Amino acid sequence: MADTDRKERAEVEVPLGIVHSALLEPFRTRLFVDDEMVVDAEITYDTAHRGIERIMEGMPVQKGLILTERICGICSHIHIWNGTRMVERGLGIEVPQRAHYIRVIGAELERLHSHLLFFGHAFEILGHETFSMRAFMIREPVQNMLFVLSGNRVHYTIPVLGGIRPRCDIDKQKKQTLLSMLATLEESLIQFRDRTLNDSLIVSRVRDIGYLSKEDAVKYGALGPNMRASGIAYDWRMDVSEYRDNFDFEIAVSDGGMVVDRVAVRVAECIESISIIRQALETLPDEEPVNVSFELGPMEYQVSYNEAARGEIYDSCALDDNGRILSYQNRTPTMSSLSAMEVACIGDHLTDATITIASCDPCLTCTNRMTVIDEARGREYILEPEELRRLARRRG
Amino acid sequence: MLKEISRKNAVHIMLVYTGGCNGCDIEVVNAVMSPFYDMEQYKVMLTWNPREADILAVTGPVTKKFEKALKEIYEAIPEPKLVAAIGTCAITGGPYANLGGDLGSSDQIIGGVAKVIPVDANIPGCPPRPEDILQAVASVIPLLAGKR
Repeated sequence: MADTDRKERAEVEVPLGIVHSALLEPFRTRLFVDDEMVVDAEITYDTAHRGIERIMEGMPVQKGLILTERICGICSHIHIWNGTRMVERGLGIEVPQRAHYIRVIGAELERLHSHLLFFGHAFEILGHETFSMRAFMIREPVQNMLFVLSGNRVHYTIPVLGGIRPRCDIDKQKKQTLLSMLATLEESLIQFRDRTLNDSLIVSRVRDIGYLSKEDAVKYGALGPNMRASGIAYDWRMDVSEYRDNFDFEIAVSDGGMVVDRVAVRVAECIESISIIRQALETLPDEEPVNVSFELGPMEYQVSYNEAARGEIYDSCALDDNGRILSYQNRTPTMSSLSAMEVACIGDHLTDATITIASCDPCLTCTNRMTVIDEARGREYILEPEELRRLARRRG
Repeated sequence: MLKEISRKNAVHIMLVYTGGCNGCDIEVVNAVMSPFYDMEQYKVMLTWNPREADILAVTGPVTKKFEKALKEIYEAIPEPKLVAAIGTCAITGGPYANLGGDLGSSDQIIGGVAKVIPVDANIPGCPPRPEDILQAVASVIPLLAGKR
């Protein structure tokens, strides 16, 4: 829509950001408001562009894969896992089953801490500080589990080409520690679930706002829990062999499409993640966790998908003769989920718009890297929404 | 006199995230806000209003798009003020500052925070642990009192 149309329809424009208490991350939201009702919204995000894909060009592949982890401090493991998976498939490197299990444990712990962070953040925006604090309190044991598993709270760097780093291997004692921590976590998480989703104060605040219909979810390319909250039952874990062949789990789906559904789907996913981690710990195969007998060489253009905490993640690259990265590309879910939220907050009250935008769990660190730099013409631009939707819909 | 005493007992941190990976950002919020580490028990509060802030905590390398906003925020904070650069990226620019080899510096990143505004405290780590952030903030509070 052109800017002039907006001005005619809207009474006031409310800009939020780029530094704003409700947003936490630097993005700018322009809400076009008519008598406190949002008639249009525009979300701009390009302040955190760091040019990682450019830096990775020509880098040795092992070094480059560690840099992928630094794309994001929340979903760091899934980036390096997906990149490693892609290169392993392209070069035909065999990976021991034990390594797959430990990578899955890392990914599910990451999903847990990411979702708990979302609850903490979302309830804080709602103004319910007690639940927000409780979510942060439950999140702390998850960080400790990641610390026990890998030795760092953020940026764990678990996968390496051919398996996992030996420091992340799970011995008998570590397994016992993790299992007992998991039991305590499950207990507090189930309490939290029952308390939150039955709380009339919270539910009345998030029900009937931020409606995203199934059609709009497809049209604007909402991904991950946002897509599943609008009734589309798809999760990349159903197609990723590490999950599909080894573990039993269910996909949480809700038909409502409201903010409350997006919260409920994430709560259900947390419980499911705990079940996957327990299965993985209990049936961990006994073998060497890393295969070191492989050779790096040229690799054709390869693609890999996986399910991050926020939705589909896509990586692709090729390798040259010396195992150096050629044109690494990475696409992350917030991009298209956030553009779906532009639609979802239309028709809502102004005070509901921030929680609607936050309910897609935006993470801007990865999204910002989609700025296109046209070096030949010496200009720089952000991909147009149509382009984003085209990219997001690549999978049917 | 009264103002000095009362301001010393209510230190406000403003957190600005200039384009890092979120890791340091969340660890700071964790250190201040979360009930586990709870910096608020030492009367250190998180704020989003620069006019209320005493300490400006910056995480992430400064992107060129953010330079103007960061300077404006710094200028809006009343004296006395301190700036803490949290995490490797905020101190030196991390892996983003230099493209490596003959490529030189990045087109998007200016580098560390010190290139834009004066920095009083550096907290290294990728990301620093919440305990480190707590310790660092506790150690700069006397500095703040001395500046007054």
